[in-house]
This record gives sequence, structure tokens and C-alpha cells, in this order.
Amino acid sequence: MQRNTYGQSPPLHHPVPQHVSTVPQLRSPPPPPGSAQSQQQGYAPTGQQGNPYQQQGGTSGNVFGAYGQFMNDPTAQVAAQFGQTAFKQGQEYVEQNIGRYVNVAALKHYFNVSNSYVINKLFLVLFPWRHKGWSRKQAVGANGQEGWYLSPRDDINSPDMYIPVMGLVTYVLLSTLIAGLKGAFNPELLGVTATTGLSVVIVEIIALKLGCYLLSISSQSQLFDLIAYSGYKFVGIIVTITVAEILNGGKGTGGWIGWAVFAYTFSANALFLLRSLKYVLLPETNGQPSGPMQTDSRAKRNQRTQFLFFYSYIVQLFFMWVLTRA
Amino acid sequence: MLYLGTLFYIAVLLINAVAILSEDRFLARLNLSPSSYDPAFGTGTDASVKAKVINLIGSVRTLMRAPLIIANTIIILYELALG
Repeated sequence: MQRNTYGQSPPLHHPVPQHVSTVPQLRSPPPPPGSAQSQQQGYAPTGQQGNPYQQQGGTSGNVFGAYGQFMNDPTAQVAAQFGQTAFKQGQEYVEQNIGRYVNVAALKHYFNVSNSYVINKLFLVLFPWRHKGWSRKQAVGANGQEGWYLSPRDDINSPDMYIPVMGLVTYVLLSTLIAGLKGAFNPELLGVTATTGLSVVIVEIIALKLGCYLLSISSQSQLFDLIAYSGYKFVGIIVTITVAEILNGGKGTGGWIGWAVFAYTFSANALFLLRSLKYVLLPETNGQPSGPMQTDSRAKRNQRTQFLFFYSYIVQLFFMWVLTRA
Repeated sequence: MLYLGTLFYIAVLLINAVAILSEDRFLARLNLSPSSYDPAFGTGTDASVKAKVINLIGSVRTLMRAPLIIANTIIILYELALG
């Protein structure tokens, strides 16, 4: 085969093209102390320009083995290595700063989804009436106490951020696509739709937090949970817009097919939210037999239930209408 | 339709509205001022809705006065210079 001209086969874990390159490859620089010897041997070819270019410290030889055909120029190699170092530093800088503002580990928990979870969850958002058992499962901690909530991969009731993020992006693209089909597209529309979607989510979260503060609901769930629940309405909105566009030619505000689909998705979404947020907002009925505590919290419980109903139905109705309008 | 700048305007205007309410003429009439509120000794933060609203209005007015001045100045300069 062609590989007889080289010393040994290239290392298997590194994607190196197997074809013959007629351009003589540079001998790789001397390995830094501690790196594996096999990598250098993998690229020990019949390079005639070996020695003067061995002073290029670092590990640039390994990465650019795949680009052996056009990276022979030493200045290009120096520039590439500089770029690599700069990129690494930039990456560390970004990681440090973003890690300070956004809790990346918590965010990873929300994106830990599987295919079956996504499909089941989408079905659940659009058809929540037959589902039983809405409470989230908890993993048992080390001492037998309640630990943390299970990730979305294991628990169908756990909120995730994958569906809301994809829903928002799909909604933006879909509404600009439909506007383009009608001939009313301009590139500003993308930004405006994205801003509208984001601002709806933000305003909803503010309203929810305000309501929680006023009713002294100590919500133990995190902010991301609420954002996730607020983002599930995009699924219903996408379905409404799609069906209204296909069947109607007009819009959701056009013929009554659009309104029927909107009413259905709205009620499905409201029920889904009602059942899910019940565990977040309403206090658990522990069965404490204390007298004055019970009567005091009954009025509060009514208030909270009313607030939950108000939030699930009326607030969502308003926002879903806003989002299907554009 | 709804740009980010418009959202900023809306937020600033709403907080302006809360900040410029006259305390003794308006809020006291409606019993929403912090002076007419006297928390009983046991309730603390677990008070009624009205107490919370009073607290909220009072704290918004106290905290947001300085940033509101800055935001309003910026908006005025922006509108004057760039129309």
C-alpha cells in the first residue's frame, strides 16, 4: 500500500487522512516533556526540512498533521499556533466570566434530555388530559433524605430548557417564513420577532415573581424552572401558526379554524401549566392539625389558587394571543 | 413592532410613574403610604397583600430614585440629539 513509504501507521485516535501526500511533510517538533512518543513517530516521514524547524515548541505538529499539505510554510505554522493559543485563552476567559453570571452546571442539567423524553413531553404539552401523576421525582440523597430533582432524561415531569429554546427559535424562523411567503419579509422582522418572544418570557417571569412576592409564596423552584414552563407555550403557538397557515391561508386571526386550533392549544397549555405549577406554587397540604394555622392559611390558599388560575389562564391567553398575532 | 429600546422606554416610564406619586397627598389618601402601616409584632414578612404592596411601593421609590434620574437624563439627551 502507500503506507510503506512512511514509518508507521498514524495513531488511530487522531483523524489523519490516509492518502499519499507528495509534498514532503515537516518533521514534527521535539515533543514537550511528558507527551507520548507515539505521536511523534506517527508523523516521522521523509521530510527534508526537518532540523531548522524543530525549534517550534509546543505541540503544533500533532494538530496540523492533517493539514500537512498546505501548512508547510513555517510562518503559517507560527500564525496558526498563535491563533490556537489565543483561542484557548479566549475560551478560558469566556468560561470564567460566563460561569460567574450564569450557572453553567445547572444549565447543563436542563439540557440533559433524550429523544423519547422530547417526544413524550411534546405530546404531553399538546394533550395533557390523560396524564396521571405530575409530581417530579427526586433522587434520594446519601442519608436517605430528599436529594435533588432528577434530570429530564429520567423524569417525564421535569422541566427542561431544550424544548423552550428550540420552540423559541422555531417560532422566530416560522413566523418570518410565513411573512416571507406572504411577501412581507424584511430582515428586521427576525430581530423583532425574537425580541417579542424574549420579552414575553421576561414579562411573564416578572409578573410571576411579583405575584409570588405579593402572596408570600416561598417558591423553592429555581428561576430556570419558571423560564422553562413559560417557554412551553411556544409549542402550542407553533402548532397554531402552522395549522392556520396550511388550512387557512390566512392567519390565526383569520378564519375560525385558526381560532379553534388556538383555543385548543391554549387550553392544553393552560392545563399543563396548572398541573405542573401546582407543585411549585401552592403549599403542600401536610395535614397539620393546628387550628389557627389552618384557618389562616385557608384564605391564603384560596388566594394562591386563584392566582394560579389567573396566571395559567388569563395571563397565558394574553401572551399567546400576542405571539400568534405577528 | 416591539423593539428593545421601546421596552426600555416602557420600563422607565412605569417606574417613573411609581416614583413620582406624592406620598402625603395621594398615597396617604389611599392608605398606601409606609407611614400608615404598622406591622404587628408577629407577622413580619408573612403579612397581608396590602402590607406587601405598601412595602413594595416604598422600596421601589427609595431604591430606584437615583437610577431613574440617570436613565431619564440619558433618554432626554438621546431624544434631543437624535430625534
